[in-house]
This record gives sequence, structure tokens and C-alpha cells, in this order.
Amino acid sequence: MYRVGIPRSLAYFFYLPLWKTFITELGHEVIESPPTSRAILDRGVKEAVNDACIPIKLYHGHAAYLAERCDLLFCPRLVSVRKHGDFGSETFCPKFLGLPDMVRLALNPLPPLIDVRIDLKQPRTGLWDAACEVGQKLGHGQAEIKRALRLAQAAQQSFRNLCQRGVLVPDALEAVLNGKKVSPKATPGHDLTIAVVGYPYVIYDPYINAGLFKILQEEGVNIVTQDMLTDQILNWQARELPKTLFWYFSNRAVYGGLHFMKKGRVDGMIHVTAFACGPDSMVDRLLEIEVRRRSSMPYLAIAVDEHTGEAGVRTRVEAFLDMLRYQRKGK
Amino acid sequence: MIKAYLGVDVGSVSTNLVIMDENGQLLASSYLRTNGRPIQTVQEGIQALGRELAQEVNIMGCGTTGSARYLTSMIIGADVVKNEITAHAIAASHEIENVHTIIEIGGQDSKIIILRGGVVTDFAMNTVCAAGTGSFLDQQASRLCIPIEEFGGYAAKARNPVRIAGRCAVFAESDMIHKQQLGHNLEDIVAGLCEALVRNYMNNVGKGKEILAPVVFQGGVAANLGLVQAFNKYLGFEVLVPRHHGVMGAIGAAYLARDAVGKKGQTSFKGFDLEKIDFRTTSFECKGCSNACEVVQFFENKNLIARWGDRCGKWELQVG
Repeated sequence: MYRVGIPRSLAYFFYLPLWKTFITELGHEVIESPPTSRAILDRGVKEAVNDACIPIKLYHGHAAYLAERCDLLFCPRLVSVRKHGDFGSETFCPKFLGLPDMVRLALNPLPPLIDVRIDLKQPRTGLWDAACEVGQKLGHGQAEIKRALRLAQAAQQSFRNLCQRGVLVPDALEAVLNGKKVSPKATPGHDLTIAVVGYPYVIYDPYINAGLFKILQEEGVNIVTQDMLTDQILNWQARELPKTLFWYFSNRAVYGGLHFMKKGRVDGMIHVTAFACGPDSMVDRLLEIEVRRRSSMPYLAIAVDEHTGEAGVRTRVEAFLDMLRYQRKGK
Repeated sequence: MIKAYLGVDVGSVSTNLVIMDENGQLLASSYLRTNGRPIQTVQEGIQALGRELAQEVNIMGCGTTGSARYLTSMIIGADVVKNEITAHAIAASHEIENVHTIIEIGGQDSKIIILRGGVVTDFAMNTVCAAGTGSFLDQQASRLCIPIEEFGGYAAKARNPVRIAGRCAVFAESDMIHKQQLGHNLEDIVAGLCEALVRNYMNNVGKGKEILAPVVFQGGVAANLGLVQAFNKYLGFEVLVPRHHGVMGAIGAAYLARDAVGKKGQTSFKGFDLEKIDFRTTSFECKGCSNACEVVQFFENKNLIARWGDRCGKWELQVG
């Protein structure tokens, strides 16, 4: 039995149920790094290359934490999860493509990596091939892998279903993996609904976004995110744009934003962007232009970096909510 | 006794206090340097106002704003605590009818607020970069040995403002030095700096915003004639500088206090005699987890009345 480490960052917030279930069902122990803390961030900033974005630095911090505590570190090379022929050349952000290499060069000591390449775009490879590679590395045969993959996909599906019924990702993860009870109902007494769009690893990591969700909830706001929409709804939005972006998570944020602008069941939109994120320099501008062009929906961009304090985020959010509530009163 | 409202705006550089009557007439105002001691500055400011007006006014409500708004609210017993964007918007829309754009530049931050029909529809604040705010101007003025009050006068005399890179305060400074070593006169350099700061503001904070007249320019930096002229030149029309441009945040807080007390019924203002109360803060580093939060404890006469600064909420406390 191996202890397999999964860093609590990047794809963690979107694919954890799949891989955790898969590895656990094969009889191994999954060790997750704890929620981001200052120690983890400081460690990541120290270990990672200087010009990396904050999320990548953070990933290094989580990986460094796990390096001393596990036998194998799960660090896949995510290339694409689009089916062959879909969405042209869309891949993950280049930093995801080089993630195992970056981690290998930056961290020492480091346990062996499970750096399986995941590219569903290649017609002959796919999730099954990736699962086989991981399974074989852990010493299992096809029958066991098949069974574990089936259960893993079911877990991932129930996670996605919960999200699509309106449960926030952190709660849905808790529900699927730890059996926590969740309800997708809006909290009574909350009078505003705000769409928060951005990368899962920025909007669901309360440390790096300075507790944005907590602030919003305390202020009486219901939160919706792009991850509550089905892939189909998101993909429809691609037709709205003359050209889509190249990166998977960026497109999801933009498509989510476009959907909320059109459907209008939200009072405002917040885009959370990580400092030094290359793709976000386009995502943020694109969302800002589109929101002005298509709607009168109030839009707020919040940029977070390693020094972001709660005060700065709170001031902006409070002002944004005041604005929404005064507007409502004025109508 | 006149019924009056108190507004306090404690920012990084200045602490502003106003006392306003029910109809929004300013009875007293003060603009003090925070000097890194917000508690002391607020106490002294309130006492000074008290000496001036305590016999004549009855404070019906008080509000705080600015980056030290929570701390200040605990000192004076505020009825309302509001962010500075809302406070500035409220003040400007009372001061100038149908204002469409507010440019506010303070000591360390700058913001733009867009209003339509009296309601805020969009706003932006500077993010990581503070280039072009009051403290940078202060620093450049003292480097050139020009009192900051005369800075605008120099800019007004410029015949041919030089072009200075305003993207970043560090580059702006080296560019200024370069221009001065080439032999350009001081007036042209100062005016060039003002124009660079306006360009930077428009490209950074004002990016993508629809700037319609009337435009109000407020905050401490609005006292600088050079910047006012640079804004006029950039926008192609005149910006309006309200009479009390330096204390607009505090005026907004006073208006908000008036509304809040209207709903609440009674003020929790502690009175002007704050010197009798000993306010003190202590802080410690929480050892509970690896976040190592710095927790602040606020004491009023040895009684712990509030605690903040922790991320998890374990220490959070507010009495009363």
C-alpha cells in the first residue's frame, strides 16, 4: 500500500473526487495537503521559480508539504479534457502542461511523481489509458483498475451533479468524499445573488482570495459560480464569441460569465483574478468588455496576490454590495 | 443647541473630521495628519472639535469611514461604519447635483466612481500600484524642495510641460531626474509630472470607464492646481473641485450617520471627552495553526472590548 499525496491546489478543486476515489479504491491511502496557510504560501514562494503566478507558487507549497509525508506525489500533466475534434486547440494553461517538470526541478527531496499525461483529445488515448498508467504504477491489473475507475467516475459524476444543483464546490467535495449533508437551497434572508467567476483554485481557496465567500455570505449574498452550470450550457456560450480562448479553465470562466450576463438571474458579477496570471490578462478584459456590451450588470474585478489582505477585498466587496442595494432602492 | 452629525474619515495619510447640521451645512471641519497614530489622532481631533463646538451642538449621530474605519468606530462609538467609496459617492451627490463621475485621489489610494441618476453604477480602486497618489507627490515635492502647497503654482507657470513616464512611481522619478539633468526648468517638469499622473490614473483606475461631466475631483490631492489643470486638459472640460474637497469622505460618513440614526433611533456616540478614556491596542501572534495570524486586542480603560485580525474567527470578539 502506498501513501499518495494530492496537493490541495489547481485541479484539486475540480477533479479530486475522480482521482481520490480511484486511488482509494485500489487500496491506497490518499493524503491531501491541508488548506492553504501562510506557511504553505511562504514555502511555495520560496521554492517556485520567481516569475510564476501565485497559484503555481501555491501548488509548490502544497507539494512541498506533501513531499515529506507521502510515497508518491500525484502531479498529472493536464493537457486537455476536451473530446477529439471539440474546441480546436484548447488545452490547459501552459503552466499545467509543464507542472510535473517545474515541481521536479524546484523541490528536493521529492518522492516519485505520478505524472500521467491526460489528453482526452488524442483519439487513441483517454481516461482509460491514464487510469491504466496510474493503476500499473501502483501495481494493479486491468480488472482492478476497471472497477476502481468505474467507482471513481461515479463519484466525479455525483460531485458534478451536486454542483449543478447549486451546491458550492467546497461543500460538494465535502459531501461526496466525507458524506457531509448539504442543501442547494439559497439561505433565507439573503437578498442578493452574485456570480463569482474565475479559476476554481482561486475562487475556492479561501486563503488566496482573502475569504471572499465568507465575506459575501456574511453580507447576505447567495453565490453562484460557473461550476454550477452544465458543460453543455457553458459550451453553448462559445458561439457568442468570434474566437474562443486557448485555455480550458479560462474558457469556463468566460463562458460562465457570458451565461450569467444573458440569463440575468444574478444581481452582479465578480471576477477574481490571480496576480501574474497570463491568461487572466485576457479573461478579465474580455469579461469587462462583454459585460458592458451585453448588459447593464454591475461588474467587479478583484485581483489577488500573496500580500492581499482581507481589508482590501472587504472594502471593494462592501462598496460593490452598497452599490447594488442602493441601485435596487433607487428603482 | 443645534442638532448635528459627526463624520470621521481616517485614512493612511490624513484624518478628517466634520460636524454637519441636519441640512448638510458644515459647522466645523478639520484635516489632520494621521502620522501613523490613528487612535491618538482621532482622540485629539474629537477633543479639538469639542472645545470649539461642544456648547453649541448636540451630536445626534456619528459615522466612520476610511481604512481605519473599524478601529475608529470603536473609539467614538459610531452608528455607522462605511467603506470610503460609498461615503465619497454620498458626499459628492449631495454637494453637486447630478454628478456623473467622481475622481478621488488620496494619500495612498485613488478611485473613480461612476454615478448615473444619483446611484453608483461602477467604481474602481487602484490595486497594487500607488503611483500618482498624494504620498508620491509629497515625496517628489520634498525632493525638489518645493512646499507641496506651491506645487500647483509651479505647474501653472509651465510653458512647455515635458513628457514623463507615469506608469510607475520609480520610473517617473528617474525620468524626472533625467529631464532635470537635461536642463528643463522646474515648472515644465512639475507640470509634466502632473500630466503623467493624470495619464496613469486614466489608464489604470479609469480604464474602460465612461467619464461624463459633471466630474467632481476630490480628496486631498484635489488641492493641487497642477493636477486640476492636467485633468482639465486631458478630459477637454473642467472638473469641479468642491469647496470641502479634502474632507468629502467625512462628510459622506456624516450623511450616512444621519440616515442610520433615523432608522436606529439613538446614537451610540461616546461624547467629546475622549481624553478621559484610555484606548490601547495590543497584538499577539496566534499559535493555533500555521497561518500565524496577528490578532489585535482593543482595550477601553483596561476592558477588552474588541479583538480582530484572525482568519478563522476563533478570537473574534466585539462587546456591545
